[in-house]
Amino acid sequence: MKRLTGLLTILIITLGVAIYLAQNIIPPENLHPLGEYYLENSYFGEHSAKSPEVVTSILWDYRGVDTLFETAVFFLAIIGSLTIFRLNREQSEEAKQGEPKPQLPEPVVVVTKLTVAMILAVSASIALHGQLTPGGGFQGGSALAVAPLLVIAAYTKYALEKNGLDKTRAIIIRSIGLLGIALTALTPLLVSGYIMQNQPIFPGEALGVPLGGSLVLYNLFEYLAVGAGFTAVFLLLSIPEEKFKKFLGVRR
Amino acid sequence: MISLLWSITIVSLLATLIISVYGIVAKPNLVKKLIALTIFGDTANVLVVLLGYRVIYPVKPPILPELSKRALGEFVKTAVDPLPQALVITAVVIGMAVNILIAFAVIQIYRIYGTLDVREVGKTLPELLRREEA
Repeated sequence: MKRLTGLLTILIITLGVAIYLAQNIIPPENLHPLGEYYLENSYFGEHSAKSPEVVTSILWDYRGVDTLFETAVFFLAIIGSLTIFRLNREQSEEAKQGEPKPQLPEPVVVVTKLTVAMILAVSASIALHGQLTPGGGFQGGSALAVAPLLVIAAYTKYALEKNGLDKTRAIIIRSIGLLGIALTALTPLLVSGYIMQNQPIFPGEALGVPLGGSLVLYNLFEYLAVGAGFTAVFLLLSIPEEKFKKFLGVRR
Repeated sequence: MISLLWSITIVSLLATLIISVYGIVAKPNLVKKLIALTIFGDTANVLVVLLGYRVIYPVKPPILPELSKRALGEFVKTAVDPLPQALVITAVVIGMAVNILIAFAVIQIYRIYGTLDVREVGKTLPELLRREEA
């Protein structure tokens, strides 16, 4: 009852403020001049990124350095998570010992197999068509990270490790992605451009498909980095609690 | 009517922000603090996307419908502002990574102290340190 009163109070106050503000507020109907500039220039303009997807061209071209440092924040957050759960060599060997046995009924396991294949295809499509349709490296990578999570839930993490995707490999794939982003950002310096320059150094289209210059490369590498980074974290997170308590020497 | 709906959207988002700040400050449980923090981050992201929205009909996503200059004028008239969306895309994924970092710290705190209550953790830590000295 007390909780309900609090909720009702919040609701009434919110509605009251909203009705009061509605007299003065005007919903925005026009673009900001900067947004209009990006919309006009993304494909046709003088400062073009050769990509019809305006969000991706802002993300990796107009505001590219911003995204580069966001990727650095992502890198540090994943490194921090890996450091908190750090294991030495014997401990990580022991964490891999276990039976890859499905824990759920048969239909769930079969459906998971199909779903994982579909998620891999969809996430690759999201990432690699990032310069043409909604999507890109970040979104595709997040979708990719769902696949190992499903496998862990249906088959336990030992199934992933027995098939060759352990924590070290995931970190290596992530490092390849981050290295690719750094190299693509530095490539224009070789031909006396500036950092993260896109046009006219990278090809604008291939076989009649707009590539958006370097956008497709950045999307591919970000896809690998985000997907594999989250996979490494999920693998650590799925180590059973008893094993971790043993490693830490906690009695409780 | 439209301005009433628009102001209800904005005010309810602001109310969600206030409630989640209350949750971060007032709840003693670390997991509940983390949940309130994720609500705070997502609400802030929705507010930023709302900055670039246009209350017109029809409104389109900021993607060129066809690769010809004729469509450009119509496109600029109907498309939403792409800049807030571009900023939010990174914020969402980075927010997820940072939330994972905080969740890892919370799990480790639970393993070492056996509790998630910040008051209990504050008491247990000095005890553990004193035991080391003795």
